[in-house]
Amino acid sequence: MRAPDLAYVIEDDRITATITEFIAKKDLCCRAVQTFRNGQLAFDQLKATVQAGGSVPDLILLDLNMPVMDGWEFLDAFGALPLVQAVCVFILTSSIQPEDVQKATHYKEVRGYFSKPLGKANVQRMQTLLLDIGA
Amino acid sequence: MSTTLTEQYPELAASIAYNPVIYDFLQNSLPDGLWYWNLKQPTQGWVNATFWQTLGYAPDQVPADPAAWRACLNPVDLAAAWQRAEACLQDSTQSVDLVLRGTHREGAPVWLRCRALVLPGDEERPTWLVGALFDVTKEKHREAHAQEVATHYSSILSNQSVYILKTDAQGNYTYVNDFFYERFGHEQDLLGTSSLLSIIEEDRPKCLEVVMQCFQAPGVPHQVILRKPYRDGSIKSNHWEFKGIAGENGELLEILCVGYDVTLLLENLHRAQHLLDVTSQQNLRLQNFAYIISHNIRSHSANLTSLVQLLSEAKSKAQKTMFLQMLTTSTEQLADTIVNLNDIVTINNNVSKPKAARALKTEIDKALEALSVLIRQHHITVEVDVPPTLTLTVVPAYLDSILLNLISNAVKYRALDRPALIRLRAQPTPEGVVLTVQDNGRGIDLAKYQSKLFGMYKTFHDNEDARGVGLFITKNQVEAMQGTIQVESEVGVGSTFTIQFHESA
Repeated sequence: MRAPDLAYVIEDDRITATITEFIAKKDLCCRAVQTFRNGQLAFDQLKATVQAGGSVPDLILLDLNMPVMDGWEFLDAFGALPLVQAVCVFILTSSIQPEDVQKATHYKEVRGYFSKPLGKANVQRMQTLLLDIGA
Repeated sequence: MSTTLTEQYPELAASIAYNPVIYDFLQNSLPDGLWYWNLKQPTQGWVNATFWQTLGYAPDQVPADPAAWRACLNPVDLAAAWQRAEACLQDSTQSVDLVLRGTHREGAPVWLRCRALVLPGDEERPTWLVGALFDVTKEKHREAHAQEVATHYSSILSNQSVYILKTDAQGNYTYVNDFFYERFGHEQDLLGTSSLLSIIEEDRPKCLEVVMQCFQAPGVPHQVILRKPYRDGSIKSNHWEFKGIAGENGELLEILCVGYDVTLLLENLHRAQHLLDVTSQQNLRLQNFAYIISHNIRSHSANLTSLVQLLSEAKSKAQKTMFLQMLTTSTEQLADTIVNLNDIVTINNNVSKPKAARALKTEIDKALEALSVLIRQHHITVEVDVPPTLTLTVVPAYLDSILLNLISNAVKYRALDRPALIRLRAQPTPEGVVLTVQDNGRGIDLAKYQSKLFGMYKTFHDNEDARGVGLFITKNQVEAMQGTIQVESEVGVGSTFTIQFHESA
C-alpha cells in the first residue's frame, strides 16, 4: 500500500486524538487526517462521502470506548456500507481485555489491534501491516 | 319366636335329657371347654377334656390332680366370675358372660369367653356354675393388633410437623389432623369449609391447577407450594402433595393432601438469593473498578508516554509548547480520574456508613439552591411535590450527592427547543419512600443504552463535560442504602428516574 491518502482518527479523548493525528502524519505518512469524537460522527461523514462518490479513507484508526456510538457499533454500521475499495481499520485502544482482542478478529476490516500508547513498536507494526496490505 | 325342643319334639327332648350317650356327646361337643364350678366351695369343680385341649394339653398330658384347672385360670377373673354368679342368684334377669384368662401349657395367655348358667343349690346341695367356654384368643389378638395399628396411625396423623387432610371433590375439608387444625383452625370448625378460600388469593389459580391434575390423574401425587394465613395473621408457605382418590368407576371421590411448612426454607432461599445478588453487584463493581484501572488510568498513562516521546522529538518551539500544554492537560485528567476512583472506592467501603433521618423536602431545596444559578440562567421550571414532613433515614452525604446528580443531569440534558421542566415527586409506600425526578429533556435511547446506563465511564450524548461517572456513582450510592434506581426515558420527550428507598434494611 502506498502511504494513505486519507486517514480517519475516531477517538473521543482530545489529547489522544491529537497525538494519533500527529503520528499518523509523521510516521504513517498520511497525507490527510480527519478526526472524529465518536463513531457516529465518523460514520455520518463516511456515509455521506460514499453517497456523494467522494474519496473514502484508506485507513481508519478506531478507538473502542466512545460515547454515542462506540467502536464496535461503528464496525457493525461500517460493515454494511457499500464500499468499493478496501479500507484498513486499526483498532487503537487502551483496553487490554482478551475478549476485546478476540472480538476484533471477527471483523474482516480490522487488520490490526493496538494497545495504547502508540509507541515505536506499535508504529513499526502499523507500518509493516500497511506494507503487507500494499503487496 | 322359635319353639323350644320340648315343645316341638317332646319325646326327643325327654330322651336327650335322660340318654347318657347324647348327654356325653353334647357335653364334649361344646366348642372349647365345659366347666362346672361349686360356688359354695370354689376350690371344687370339674372341666372336660376339651378344656385341656384348648389349653394345649394332649390327652396323656392332662394333670392328674382334679383341682389342676384352677391353677390354669386367672384368679382375678375367677373372682369376677364368682361375683357375676352371685349377682345372678340375686336377680334372675342377670346372666354370666365374661372373658377368663387362662394359661396355655406353653405359658401363653388364652382368652376364654365363658357363658354360664347358675344352678342354685340349697342347705344341702351346692350351687353350681355351668360354664360353656369359647376360645377367643384369636379375636383378642386381632383386636390388640387393630388397636396397635390405630395407635400407630393416629400417632402419625397427630404428628407435630406434617399437615394431613382430606377434601371432597368440591374442595371442602372432610378431615384435618390436629396439627393442621392447631395452626389454621382459627377456633372454628374447618370441616365442610372451602380449602381453596383458605389460601391467599394469588395462589388460588395454582391450587386449582393442581386439583385439575388430580382429576386428570388420580392416584398420582402432584406437588405445589401454597401460601395461607396462619392464625396469628402471618402468611405461611406450605409444600403440599395432593393425591386424588378415585372410586370404583374412576370418578374422583376425595383429595388427600399432605403438607409441611416451608416458610423458613423459602425465607432462607430468598436470603441466599439476596446475598447472591449483593455479591454479584459487588463483583460487578470490582469489574468496573478493574475496568477503570485498565482503561482510564492506562489511557492517561499512554497519553503521557506518547507526549513525553513527542516532546523529546519536537522540532520547533511551537510544537514543544503544544506538547507541553497537552502534557499539562493530560496530568490534570489523570488527577481527575484518580479523584473519581476515590469516589467509587469510598462508596464501596462504606456499606455500613451511619444513617440519619433527613427531611427530603429540605434536602431537595438545598440541592436546588446549589444549582440555582444554572436553573435561573436556563429558565428552567422546577416543580417539587414532596410533603414537607416526609423524612428518610439515609446516609446524608449520599442523598445530597444523588439529588445533586439527578437534578444537574436534568439541567445538563435539557432540550433546547422547548422550556425546560424538572419535576420532583415523593410519596411513602409500604416498602419505603419512592422519589421520582422527571424532566422533559433530550431523553436517552434506552433500547440502545439500557444495559450501559448506570455503567462507569459511559456517556450517551455528545457532551464535552460528561465524565460518565455520575449515574454510576448515583446507582452505587442508592444501592449502598439498599435502595433501587430505575429509569424510563424516550428520546426527545424526557427521562424519569425513580428511586425506591428501603430504609428499614
